[in-house]
Amino acid sequence: MRTIIPAAILLIALLAVPPFLGLGWQNALVNLLIASLFALAFNLLSGQAGLLSFGHAAYFGVGAFATLHLMIAVEDGLPFPTPLLPLAGAGAGLAVGLVAGVFATKRSGVYFALVTLAIAELFHSLAPHLQGWFGGESGISAMRMPWGGFVFGSLLEVYYLTLGWVVLSILVLWAYTRTPFGRLTLALRDNEQRVRFLGYDAHAAKVVVFTISAMFSGVAGALLAISNETANYALFSAHVSAQVVLHTFVGGATIFLGPVIGAVVFTLFAYIVSDLTRSWLFYQGLIFVLVMLYAPIGIGGVIRHHLRHWRSIDWSRLAAPYALAGVGGAMIAGGVVFLTECVAILFGEEYAVAMRDAGDTLPPFEMAGMSWDPLGPASWLPPILLLSIGGLCLHRARDRIKPLWDAIEGGAAKEGTR
Amino acid sequence: MTDAPGNSPYSLRLSGVTKAFGSIPVIQDVDLDIRAGERHAVIGPNGAGKSTLFNLISGLFPLSGGDIRLHGRSIAGLSPHRINRLGLARSFQISNIFHRMSVFENLRIGVLARHGIRFGLFRPVDRMRRINDETDAILARVGLTARAHDLAGDLTYSEQRALEIGMTLTTGADVILLDEPTAGMSREETARAIDLIRTVSEGKTLLMVEHDMSVVFSLCDRVSVLVYGNILATDTPAAISANRAVQEAYLGEEADI
Repeated sequence: MRTIIPAAILLIALLAVPPFLGLGWQNALVNLLIASLFALAFNLLSGQAGLLSFGHAAYFGVGAFATLHLMIAVEDGLPFPTPLLPLAGAGAGLAVGLVAGVFATKRSGVYFALVTLAIAELFHSLAPHLQGWFGGESGISAMRMPWGGFVFGSLLEVYYLTLGWVVLSILVLWAYTRTPFGRLTLALRDNEQRVRFLGYDAHAAKVVVFTISAMFSGVAGALLAISNETANYALFSAHVSAQVVLHTFVGGATIFLGPVIGAVVFTLFAYIVSDLTRSWLFYQGLIFVLVMLYAPIGIGGVIRHHLRHWRSIDWSRLAAPYALAGVGGAMIAGGVVFLTECVAILFGEEYAVAMRDAGDTLPPFEMAGMSWDPLGPASWLPPILLLSIGGLCLHRARDRIKPLWDAIEGGAAKEGTR
Repeated sequence: MTDAPGNSPYSLRLSGVTKAFGSIPVIQDVDLDIRAGERHAVIGPNGAGKSTLFNLISGLFPLSGGDIRLHGRSIAGLSPHRINRLGLARSFQISNIFHRMSVFENLRIGVLARHGIRFGLFRPVDRMRRINDETDAILARVGLTARAHDLAGDLTYSEQRALEIGMTLTTGADVILLDEPTAGMSREETARAIDLIRTVSEGKTLLMVEHDMSVVFSLCDRVSVLVYGNILATDTPAAISANRAVQEAYLGEEADI
């Protein structure tokens, strides 16, 4: 019940709220759902089976292209129901995943990662030359056709179609973890050798996991194709493969819904921040590095840690240092953003022109609606103050939070041995 | 040598088994017959090739020469999972368990394999009553019922060794290979491990690598001495400890055991 009620509330919100949102937000939600499914499919292989793939863009992209080909066939009169289009993505992901999986899973660890990377690069470099399959450099396009009273003309209809497929896929992937094979997947991650000595063909098992992961990645790619009505070879790029790794690890690879958290956070981040600054990819990378350094279990892991100890957390004592940490973190973030934006401006093309016009001196620059003198101490005082005071706040907060958590965890350990 | 499969009086027959890593011979022309239902120990100084012998029998390493027959059927060249399905299970010298899974799940993986539910994707495993009951029974046999839901990685050393033995039982194999099951244990833990091994190997064929002669004496029907990749002698424990050649080659240099 504890998980069903929040899940139901979330689902009702996902059903009821979007009609009241603007097109921009509806589009962001579609992308968020697709990224969530992709990350979850990826994590089946990475988090559950312990096989870190650096080339999942291949199966995502193949799913998108297969769906577009089916959509073109529908345009030409093939009677195929539009809501079932993602089946083409599933089929293509499954087929390509099976072939790639047979080879990639012959190795583990770094070698596995490299083989998957190579397979994705193969697609990325071949696709622009294959006019018939991938439409060359410009890619292929197709229209969504009406079906059974649905026009599929509005973004809202696409959103509901996406929501349906993503929820269904998440439920199937959740059920998977509870089957014998789902448990075997975890055993493969822990100790592949022992799995073999218990009578399992470990290679065959890894191929099956790989194929299922690729199949659901293909569904995610199909949903993107349906939403965008177009795709080109950029879908196979290392950027797409890296993005899903980022989502999964920031969200938490050891928690079932962790990748979804990461996908949601980063999709929203991209949607909101990319409008504000051109440095948004830098900030995204910075967040990834910070999470890996200070919370390698991911956002989901941190949440689970708190939920697990919920009863023994004394919020009256923890709230103040948490707030202090929040303030410190915000100040440091402010300082970093200030400096990053300054650097972006000072080393930008526009400023180079301004500098030349000013006769090779350093003219004042414009940022956040104010004018700053690059040589004036008043310009550099705000970031220095933000960083140093923020650092002090974080330091103080950590000194106060650590003993409190030690007590909470110590208490739990004592309970465990009783 | 050409026993009909199935009714061989020997569970395991090694004939002319040879293994070389590159040009370095590790096992040289070993003949060894393990009778059905006996408890057999392989002893020998460090580096004699005992673990290599186990890795050859269980299929981890390919043979360089010779043949191994399990119940009269050649298993040379088969992969570990095929050999396991033909009825041979092994434990490892270093605990080789699923650290991040519960003790119960560690054992259930093997029980599922025994029932052929290897790639089950359509039913929740928690509802498979027979599987879970059987897992509980094995948990009880190795004395880990109270630890069923703890992570295997959190078990004490001797509990992990018991889990190792439990896992070799799960797949229903009737030939069990244990690689130094009591290594690193206290006297008390060793005594308990001997009792455990004695009960679980009842009605099965047991082949074990063991350093501790007192364990060999209290458990085993026969002993083979492996020195520099050769079998020096195979006999009852009492006869082996009286054997002069063995004393010189092995027991003599470690008189304290």
